[in-house]
Amino acid sequence: MALPSKIAVGIDIGSTTVKAVVCNPETHEILWQDYKRHETRQPEMVLEFLVRIGKAFPDAEDVRCYLTGSGSAPITKAVGGKFVQEVNAVTLSVEKLHPDVGSVVELGGQDAKIIIFREQERDDGTREKTAITSMNDKCASGTGATIDKCMLKVGMEQEEVGNLVFDPTKLHHVAAKCGVFAETDIVNLIKSGIPSTEIMNSLADAIVHQNLSVLTRGNTLKHKVLLLGGPNCYLPFLVECWRMRIPETWDSRGYDYPKDVPIQELILTPENAQYYAAFGAVIYGLSDVTDNPNEARFYGIDSLKDYIENGRSARLGDSAAGPLVASQEELDSFLEEYTLPTFHAATFEEGQVVRGVIGLDGGSTSSKAVLVDHETGEVLYKAYTLSKGNPIKDTKDILREIRGYVRSFGAELECTGFGATGYAAQVLEESVRADVNIVETVAHMMSAVRYVPDADVVCDIGGQDIKVLFLRENKGGGRDVRDFRLSNQCSAGNGMLLQAMADQFGVPLQDYAQTAFDASLAPKFSYGCAVFLDADRVNFQKEGFSSTEMLAGLAQVLPKNVWQYVVQVPRLAEFGRVFVLQGGTQRNLAAVKAQVDYIRARVPNAKIVVHPHTGEAGAIGAAMETRRVVRRNGSSTFIGLEQAINLQYETVNDESTVCHFCPNHCSRTFIDTTTPDGRKSRYISGFSCEKGTVESKDALKELTRERAITRKQFPNVVEEEGELAFKHFYEPAPMPLAGAKKDDIEVRKLSFRRVARKAFQRGFKRSNVDLSKVKVGIPRVLNMYSTAPFFRTYFEALGMPKQNVVFSSPSTEEMWVEGGRYGSIDPCFPSKVIQAHIHELLFHFHPDKRKRKGPLDYIFFPCITHVPSFLSNTMDTASCPIVAGSPNVTKAAFTKETDFFERAGIEYLDPALTFTEPNLLKRVMFETWGERLGITEDESDHAIEQAHAALEAFDQRIQARGRDILKLVKRENRIAILMIGRPYHLDPGLHHGIPDEFQVRGYPVLSVRSLPRDPETLRETFGEDVDGLDICDVWPENYSANSAQKVWAAKFAARHPNLAILDLSSFKCGHDAPTYGIIDGIVKTAKVPYSALHDIDANKPGGSILIRVKTFIHKLSLVEEELADRALAKVELAKRVAKEREAIKARILARRTQAAEEPVSVPAK
Amino acid sequence: MDDIHHSEPELTPDEAAELEQELAGFAEEEARDLGLERKQYTENVQQEFWADQVAHTTILVSGLSLAHDHLVTAALAGIGYKVKTLEVPDVESLQYGKEFGNRGQCSPTYFTVGNLVKTLVHMRDVQGMSTQEIIEGHIFLTAGGCGPCRFGMYVTEYRKALRDSGFDGFRVLTFQMAGGIQQATGQELGLKIDPNFAWHVVRSLIAGDVLNLMAYRMRPYEVVEGSTNAAIEECKAVLYDSFSKRKHASVALYKCRRILKKVKIDRTRPKPLVSLIGEFWAMTTEGDGNYHMQAFLEEEGAEVDIQGITNWLLFMIWEAGYDTEQRQVLREDDVARKGLDGKNATKKLYSLKAGYWAVRGIFQAYANILGLHAYELPDMKHIAELASKHYSNDVRGGEGHMEVGKLIHFVEDKVNHMTVSVKPFGCMPSSGVSDGVQSKILSKWPEAIFVPIETTGDQQVNAHSRVQMMLFKAKQRAREEFDKALAETGLSEDEYRARVKSSRRFRNPFLRPAHKVAGIAANLVYAVG
Repeated sequence: MALPSKIAVGIDIGSTTVKAVVCNPETHEILWQDYKRHETRQPEMVLEFLVRIGKAFPDAEDVRCYLTGSGSAPITKAVGGKFVQEVNAVTLSVEKLHPDVGSVVELGGQDAKIIIFREQERDDGTREKTAITSMNDKCASGTGATIDKCMLKVGMEQEEVGNLVFDPTKLHHVAAKCGVFAETDIVNLIKSGIPSTEIMNSLADAIVHQNLSVLTRGNTLKHKVLLLGGPNCYLPFLVECWRMRIPETWDSRGYDYPKDVPIQELILTPENAQYYAAFGAVIYGLSDVTDNPNEARFYGIDSLKDYIENGRSARLGDSAAGPLVASQEELDSFLEEYTLPTFHAATFEEGQVVRGVIGLDGGSTSSKAVLVDHETGEVLYKAYTLSKGNPIKDTKDILREIRGYVRSFGAELECTGFGATGYAAQVLEESVRADVNIVETVAHMMSAVRYVPDADVVCDIGGQDIKVLFLRENKGGGRDVRDFRLSNQCSAGNGMLLQAMADQFGVPLQDYAQTAFDASLAPKFSYGCAVFLDADRVNFQKEGFSSTEMLAGLAQVLPKNVWQYVVQVPRLAEFGRVFVLQGGTQRNLAAVKAQVDYIRARVPNAKIVVHPHTGEAGAIGAAMETRRVVRRNGSSTFIGLEQAINLQYETVNDESTVCHFCPNHCSRTFIDTTTPDGRKSRYISGFSCEKGTVESKDALKELTRERAITRKQFPNVVEEEGELAFKHFYEPAPMPLAGAKKDDIEVRKLSFRRVARKAFQRGFKRSNVDLSKVKVGIPRVLNMYSTAPFFRTYFEALGMPKQNVVFSSPSTEEMWVEGGRYGSIDPCFPSKVIQAHIHELLFHFHPDKRKRKGPLDYIFFPCITHVPSFLSNTMDTASCPIVAGSPNVTKAAFTKETDFFERAGIEYLDPALTFTEPNLLKRVMFETWGERLGITEDESDHAIEQAHAALEAFDQRIQARGRDILKLVKRENRIAILMIGRPYHLDPGLHHGIPDEFQVRGYPVLSVRSLPRDPETLRETFGEDVDGLDICDVWPENYSANSAQKVWAAKFAARHPNLAILDLSSFKCGHDAPTYGIIDGIVKTAKVPYSALHDIDANKPGGSILIRVKTFIHKLSLVEEELADRALAKVELAKRVAKEREAIKARILARRTQAAEEPVSVPAK
Repeated sequence: MDDIHHSEPELTPDEAAELEQELAGFAEEEARDLGLERKQYTENVQQEFWADQVAHTTILVSGLSLAHDHLVTAALAGIGYKVKTLEVPDVESLQYGKEFGNRGQCSPTYFTVGNLVKTLVHMRDVQGMSTQEIIEGHIFLTAGGCGPCRFGMYVTEYRKALRDSGFDGFRVLTFQMAGGIQQATGQELGLKIDPNFAWHVVRSLIAGDVLNLMAYRMRPYEVVEGSTNAAIEECKAVLYDSFSKRKHASVALYKCRRILKKVKIDRTRPKPLVSLIGEFWAMTTEGDGNYHMQAFLEEEGAEVDIQGITNWLLFMIWEAGYDTEQRQVLREDDVARKGLDGKNATKKLYSLKAGYWAVRGIFQAYANILGLHAYELPDMKHIAELASKHYSNDVRGGEGHMEVGKLIHFVEDKVNHMTVSVKPFGCMPSSGVSDGVQSKILSKWPEAIFVPIETTGDQQVNAHSRVQMMLFKAKQRAREEFDKALAETGLSEDEYRARVKSSRRFRNPFLRPAHKVAGIAANLVYAVG
């Protein structure tokens, strides 16, 4: 066969591979195809492909070249080809090769795409096929990359993963919204000893759920579904998961699909799918209408060669930052100052008995341990092991290593104590009876001040977390934590990222620094989340930055992430001048150089010290604390080295360990350990509430009893308020009788836009309608937490029985997983979760067979534009626009394909209501309900008045609780936690049980509403002459009611010595963002104990919450000492004032006597 | 002791008062000494700008399109202010904004706040001005808001960033979106928002709109690349001169018409008409803040239909009118921001109506002179009614229901081929509400091509890629429409081109053929045929 003279080449340059096809431009027949990994050398690989294609088609004269894929943009110009957008390419390929396909799910390394085909009739009667396409936003990128990373973490080989079977019975929580979140969850599962296979299955299920709930934008995938992209091709268990979950959504949405066709034919992965984008690029290119006859004509390879040699670096000048070091001299002097001396482990004599304590830091990806001399505290030996999936195994290994080292000298180790910190500390406290289980932050502080006693700031950068501790002098003359900032999930993963990037570029980690120092320029990464950084990396690669430059750029972004993103304080100097850098990442001198430069630029006289044992700082802290505790107690609780090394353990995670004490049915893991001498212990993990900590009903009873005592002793108003808001607690006054006297105003519209009003009296009108059978469902979300008593009472006052006002349940993870698949957008979780509440009302409460909750007649979810506010002199009392508009968004989501309300025979009502205009509120409520319920306007107005009274009663009740608690803590000189947040943060599914963590540790918890606002308290708190409810002194732009109330609560706490603030904000909260700086100013100036979680989302970051709670509690213990000091100081003040009173009085009396004795002087004339 | 105590004389009331006063001072000092006193935070709010400071104060302005900033500067100069326009915010501004702003802000906040900080830092570090000179000699004037989105709380953010970057006390004044300037009254104000001020500023904004609309209409079809931009620059200079010297605008506009008329235009090639809507700042700026979206679309072969600031003014007037009408018929007036207690609703409605027609009138007059023919300003009432079934007219913030109403209008009335909605990442009204409702609109009108783009400032490649993805379909639509027009009129493409070439009327750069379908080339076919 003669070789063609015309060919069309399609090249797909992805994030890891290059794929190419050569087609006949007339017939579109594929003549040649191949793919290869490019190892980040995209242009070189494309050149290699083009050379091979040239050889394969020597007769080709007219060569058209179409490029697609994330890496194709710069290369397209160099070869003279035409760029084709990837999704267009895939869409066309699918349309051509699979005309019967209804939708496509493509998972790539970074991107995920969904295409849903839809046919519609046009005006002229012809049918047109259109495709709805969606791609993940930047927050959710990294699907394939996340799977790869997790595979490494769980330690499974590619082949093993390829043979994995999807098992839906053993799934654990993994947040797949974002790669970093998923990694955090995976690490926790590994640490809890969950088998790798279950973890991978859980990840697959989470990815599938995430795509079905978010990426489909609420649309239903149509059959047949084509699964494309790397992960779908090489992970059969992922495909199985799709095959299970997609039909579930079909069934729940009533989507009609052929039930007699095998699932393998409905949801399928085609062969050669890797070439679809390349092939589609050709189809697209050939069909795109253009007037240019030379379009996409291949220039030949010379210009690509030129681009590889010269073009790249020339283009980068503008967008790049400077190098890490400007000159060799600078580098030399830096290295001289900061190269750490090599650690030499101690050596021992034969027969010597080495007495030492062991400190262990069970970190996210590795475990580190140190052996410290019992007497001197000197570090004798350091051990390190990469996590192998079980904390007990890791500990055993590392202890064995330490013992082995000492024995290698013929010496014997006498372990005088053992302490742990980090993820593994909890399980070790139980199983080996560790002397110490301290929170990482405190361990790091202790370790830092051992080597740098005058440290002001400790910055610890580990694999996942960034911890910054601000220290101050304590009573004993030492140092303690004054304040701290921890990375939230959105800024996590920095050390890991440096390592992963080095791995990717094939640079050994120890060579990172030297490689990065060699770069003469660096790309400017945008700081923030690791996923964003990774997306930037892909971008920069495309732009042509070299790996050396990329490593330098990544080191430079690190200090920005620490100081601008995590710490968020531009004036670094206010924290002091002595900075200690520690954590494994500081071994990388490129990171240290970037940090030193950044800090020096802002604190010119800074002393910056790198911890001598930078990677083991946590372990050293644990060891130091252990040494202190053991020396003080005179003995150790540790089971002993031999017992620990020979500890037997068994991890069980099956039906027998599932917790059945509540409907959550948490899948728990039991780790049972047995020491050689037979002592058994059990550690339980994987539960979401404290009920999961027990195994029997009796134990649960005991727990409930204890819990009741705790609740009484340490009340939690957040919980009480969240419950009371939705309960019947107010008895509305009866409806006036028909004909009872009533004042009214007649309104008449006149000409010229005028209106006349006339007051008159008339009789009350009654409808006598029976509402005992009418049921209204209301989602328990957003501002319902502050207005629900109003709506409940409105309906009750009209005559609806209290059980007929049905609220959805508090949010739970199960509810979200089940009902979170309708949304088309990705806003904050509090507004996203609404769909799950509506789903519950529609699919659980409405068809409720026992008719306790359903069937519902209406779902009422008003757009509340303005909420009630207790503040004075504010600019407005607006709701957040998302909160106000969510009822409209929800309506769109539940009516766009199928009208779920109509199908259920329910009417959905979402009128706009304002609480600041009572007359308008009355009118809109009557317009909404009058005809529907058959009530009169008088009845509606009466119900509104009762509803306002109920809201007031609710407020008074909660305030009374707050008043009592404040009195109590004041009297007992204790601290109470004030949770500041938006009303919906009362929802346990949104605050993730954080307030409860404080309650169980003995702190009463208050809410914003519970702060008493009676004149006396306001005077006492804010002073005589000011309006205590005005916040203009700190924030004049106070349009948002809930933000303003939050700021006011912070002001209150700043004036009440017994309050500490827990500040909650949800991820993406646009209304809280402007108040961060203000609240920061308030708490800093008045030195209020303060802890914030600013990016809480759907998933519960258990580990991160615990570190914060524990660190905060450590700090509160210091605050309580201060309170005691303060009480003493007050007594002292009273004494001094009494004494001074006498002194002044004596002076005045003396003056009087002197005046009386002095002769009257006669003024001279 | 007791004896002594009993024999001690009592103090007179004056002496007792003296004692208490002295004791209070002592107690305060001792409390401080014992660490019992707590310092409290207050925000340093500087918004004072008095008449006697005008002569030595430079007003910095920024935040709109290039043409608008330029002409507002001229208008303010014309009424006696010293004014300086900031550069269009770029990625460097974004980085300044992120460093000194709160976390979790939207990109317009970072861009605009960072742009001011960038400018002040430049004045200090490069131009060598002292911080005091900068603070005393300059104020920043910008569009502010009235809640409820982040935009309404910009001033808080400006203050924080200025404080943290070392310019604590620098004054930021905002035109409040609905009514005058946020400023304490009393002394004679430096910025007097009186009818004269409003007339000059509004006029310059409308002139900026008309000029921008002309540019976006002409540039995609220019025969000589760059000729439109050159002409627009010339027009901007002419208008600047006119506004800053308070000359009669129509003279300048006629002059501009002559300049624009010289640009050679060929509208015979079908191009997709793409409307750019979205969040106000993101769709208005012409730089990194929206990934140069307008320029990108033009480069990709589209004609861009932009939204003018006039639309925004009309929207605000509509809002105030709608709110007043809703409340006028209540039995009693409410005391609240929008309540009518103490206000004359009838008078308010009449003045809003007057304002509405004045804005439309000025726009129409300028459009007629400059050659912007057959351009229809949106009917805000109609847009509101279209949207109201899906997006409540009472839910506010940002563009409110406008995006939804506009999309329905575009589809129903076949206004364009494709709609791009740009908004900042996490924009509350736009990506948090509008986009959610738009999914329903798209299922109802599946023929609509709609691309929502969230901008962060640093993801240009992805955003462009998404737009490109949808533009393919739009291009096909434009071509099909064009071919259909040819078929219906019985003209061949060559014939059609020849006829256009030979007719002065069809070559007229200001010609807007009668609307039959979305595409201009296709409409021209119908006009020719």
